[in-house]
Amino acid sequence: MKSFLKHLVVALAAFLYAGPILFMVVGSFKPDADVLAEAGSIQALLPSEVTIQNYVDVFERVNFGRFFLNSLFITGSIVIWGLFVNSLAGYAFARLQWKGRDALFLLVVLLMILPYEAIAVPLFYQVSLLGWRDTYIAQILPFVANAFSIYLFYTFFLGLPRELEDASRVDGAGTLRTFFEIVVPNSKPVFATVTIVTFLFFWGFFLWPQIVTSGERVRPLPVAIATFHTLPPLKWGDILAFGVMMVAPVLIVFLVLQRWFVRGIASTGSKG
Amino acid sequence: MTQPPSQRHRFRRRFNRPAFAGPVMAVPGVLGLLLFIAIPFLTAVALSFTNLRMGSPLPTEFVGLQQYQRIFADEGFRRALINTVLFAAVMVPVQTVLALSLALLLNQELKGKAFFRTVFFMPVVFPMALVAVIWELIYAPGPNGILNSFLDLVSFGTLGPVDVLHDPALALPGIMLLSLWQGVGFQMVVLLAGLQSIPGVLYEAAAVDRAGKIQQFLHITLPQLRNALIFTALVTTILAFRVYAQVEITTRGGPVDATTTVMYETVRTVFDRQQVGQASAMTVVFFFMVLAVTLIQRALVKQEREIA
Amino acid sequence: MRRVEGQELPLDFSPLFQHISHMPVRLTTAKTAPRSLIAISDFLSITFGITPCALLVILALAGCGSESPSDAGDAATLSAWAHAGRQAERETLAAQVARFNQTNSDIRIDLTFIPEGAYNSQVQAAALAGDLPDLLEFDGPFLYNYVWQNQLRPIRGLISPETYDSLIPSMIEQGTYNGDFWSVGQFDSGLGLFADRSKLEAVGARIPTHPSEAWTVEEFEEILAKLAERDPDGQVLDLKLNYRGEWYTYAFSPALVSAGGGLIARPEYGTAEGVLDGPESIGVMSRFQRWVEEAHFVDPNVDDNAFAGGRVALSWVGHWEYDRYRETLGDNLVLLPLPDFGGGSRTGQGSWSWGVTRTCPHPEAAGAFLDFLLRDRQVLEMVAANGAVPATRGAIEQSDHYAEGKPLNLYVAQLTGGFAVPRPRTPAYPVITTVFQGTFNDILDGADPRRALERAAREITRDIADNRGYPDVEAER
Repeated sequence: MKSFLKHLVVALAAFLYAGPILFMVVGSFKPDADVLAEAGSIQALLPSEVTIQNYVDVFERVNFGRFFLNSLFITGSIVIWGLFVNSLAGYAFARLQWKGRDALFLLVVLLMILPYEAIAVPLFYQVSLLGWRDTYIAQILPFVANAFSIYLFYTFFLGLPRELEDASRVDGAGTLRTFFEIVVPNSKPVFATVTIVTFLFFWGFFLWPQIVTSGERVRPLPVAIATFHTLPPLKWGDILAFGVMMVAPVLIVFLVLQRWFVRGIASTGSKG
Repeated sequence: MTQPPSQRHRFRRRFNRPAFAGPVMAVPGVLGLLLFIAIPFLTAVALSFTNLRMGSPLPTEFVGLQQYQRIFADEGFRRALINTVLFAAVMVPVQTVLALSLALLLNQELKGKAFFRTVFFMPVVFPMALVAVIWELIYAPGPNGILNSFLDLVSFGTLGPVDVLHDPALALPGIMLLSLWQGVGFQMVVLLAGLQSIPGVLYEAAAVDRAGKIQQFLHITLPQLRNALIFTALVTTILAFRVYAQVEITTRGGPVDATTTVMYETVRTVFDRQQVGQASAMTVVFFFMVLAVTLIQRALVKQEREIA
Repeated sequence: MRRVEGQELPLDFSPLFQHISHMPVRLTTAKTAPRSLIAISDFLSITFGITPCALLVILALAGCGSESPSDAGDAATLSAWAHAGRQAERETLAAQVARFNQTNSDIRIDLTFIPEGAYNSQVQAAALAGDLPDLLEFDGPFLYNYVWQNQLRPIRGLISPETYDSLIPSMIEQGTYNGDFWSVGQFDSGLGLFADRSKLEAVGARIPTHPSEAWTVEEFEEILAKLAERDPDGQVLDLKLNYRGEWYTYAFSPALVSAGGGLIARPEYGTAEGVLDGPESIGVMSRFQRWVEEAHFVDPNVDDNAFAGGRVALSWVGHWEYDRYRETLGDNLVLLPLPDFGGGSRTGQGSWSWGVTRTCPHPEAAGAFLDFLLRDRQVLEMVAANGAVPATRGAIEQSDHYAEGKPLNLYVAQLTGGFAVPRPRTPAYPVITTVFQGTFNDILDGADPRRALERAAREITRDIADNRGYPDVEAER
């Protein structure tokens, strides 16, 4: 009985929680006029009529593929370049002795609490003066170096046993070779964690691209849906279809790689 | 491989000294941070003492602390400060408690545990811009709106239709609710992993000592989860201060400043009104806000550690 | 500050993160990766694999999209920004640009649509970055600010005299500033009340046919009340509250003028105090607030279908809804002047028009493009798509909507009879409209009209003072 109750509570919570998602998916397959009209009834989840017209409309009205590729390219670039740049820096701070290291590291920690939003205004001004407005580079370059990622790498590398690196050095391998051949393969958890956290953050990045992009050429998905949402004619079915297509690929990747995905996120905070 | 030329060899030997390799490896990261965070921030500090306006043909002048006086005298900005702090002050405890409850629920013997975990985690992969658009529809006014039909159903018709996004008392809670929906899964997963890593022996020992469920929770679960809880609280705080996309898409700071935030005011000032100087002053204030909260949290964590 | 030494961390974040350093580390080599870690490398290779692919596709798209055809190698290419308006409008403009490019092998117009919501912000940002397009479309009253900022060049010498002479007076008025002529558009706008005739007749409402016969606001409120009695949810008026931005200033500031108030003191444009927060303006805004908050006459229109869907009898909207409304209501659709708030019915005017930027390398080519857009054929095509008032006399005569006795003749009567008020012709306009939009929203959401308007007037007046009254910087030099 107690177990039944427990299941009931969880199932109810899950249903409420999944409600908005179900509503989005079901709504995206409804004739446009029904989306709001049926929102208040059970038909919000059980459509009386099913159509893929909304999806067709999205492709007719805007260049969805372009937005998607833009997002993928921008986020992918930030993640990949970020892994490279930040892991190197994290390693230099964690393992190598050099002049000025401690002072610079202090700076990194200080910058960690400075959110991107706090520098959006001057950075916007700076990027505009550089002529980088409305480009990919303005959406990628400023975000590659990331104090938080450096910090995650730093703490992880501190915890790695030194013996492996020492052995590698004895074998005559240089610092970089040791890093790439010994340290990196043994640090997959932290690389995974940084990948996920950075990806999720920048996949949803909104404020910055909203102010530095203007046309459709380099517009990423979050800005694209905000714009689509105000583009006449107002069609809620189309907007929901846009939403489904925007989130489905990430959701599928997430479902497929779920165990690993969850572990990566959990490792940011668990005690292990 | 052929023998490398001696010059290259020398370079390699030099590079392999940490005193040399260290700075080289750190340079791309540190340079990036300096160029795109530190320098812009210092620029903001400098610009906040001027009346710089984008596009104005009039000369830019040094105005001292005028911009700061103005923003603190401005009703909208003062309201934004209050809203931002309020948002963080509500979101951090509520989201943490909710995430912990869900994690505890899912940490029990349960059929379809993975399924439920997936459901609660799914919104995390939704960009906030999309979440805001979906919830704007959920909050649609009139008796036919989703939220209103739901309220009507669960309250047996006693809770009348509400217009969340246009009601000064409900708009900010409305923004909080949708933010909560999107964010709680992340915290839940972190805490769930924390729960699962608590050694079962501890509970067995407690059971031998006849400690009740509540005592077990207070004396084993919570202390063992400490790091994970601090982490989730920290992340929630940082995210709470950044609240922008939800506001921009659903309410645009309204009704009557009820949902305006520091970030929202800053962006509007620079983007709609081209007041770079004034927006820079807001940026500096925002930074000190975040700094203050970080220092307070740090002090709390440290104090607690000394007690423990 | 403590020194960073080994595990010791400066700001004492260590307790937060030490768990990470305690994370169990699997010491492996690539060859013997345990099962559970394979997913990680899979994911990484997917990410690493997808990104270059996406880049290639983007480059390919950019290649087909923006590269000019081979014969356009030595053509003068002009970039142009237009607002992303209604679909038919966008399609018509795109088609006209394509036609122009086809017939003029030596000029190529490269058109970009910019979302309407942040249009001025985008222009300002582009101006700062020095990458304004060569041809810039903007909503009428923004012209004066762009001229003040020295972004545009006069076009009188660029367009043909015939084009200039064909323009209706309101278009010449809109484009003229500081003694020069700066912008032309294909259409002016029309603003009024669309109504469902049968619903009005059912409550015995008088149907005015000329702006001078407009309902007084008291009459309007009586009609709203009668309509509401017969309406299932009591919501009978659509104010297009689903729109954002410029709409509020365009559509509702004429009501302030009708009552004797306004946005700013004209014609000096030196202060908003005493005008925007004067008793007349407060009175008008209080009425709007009452309609929304107390009487619940106004449909929130979340689906933009309040009038076309038959939920309300009256829609306060511009020309652009004519086609859609006509389709659903047929002959039942009737166009009325906005109510008279005291000094006679007043309505909005002005619309999107084109200017040529200072940085445009081929101004004469830009002029040729504007001449092309202003030919009757293009103008008629555009107004057929968006229902606006044609900007040329020739097109008005040929149009089947605007001539005497035609359904939209009221718009022409408003524009030519002195019933339409231009939005303030001052470089302060962008600030005025931003402030007013926020204030209008606040008042509709329940803010005290007097306090909200006083705050708005103060803010606008301060901006003008900050800019030293927007002096003509060019002339000063």
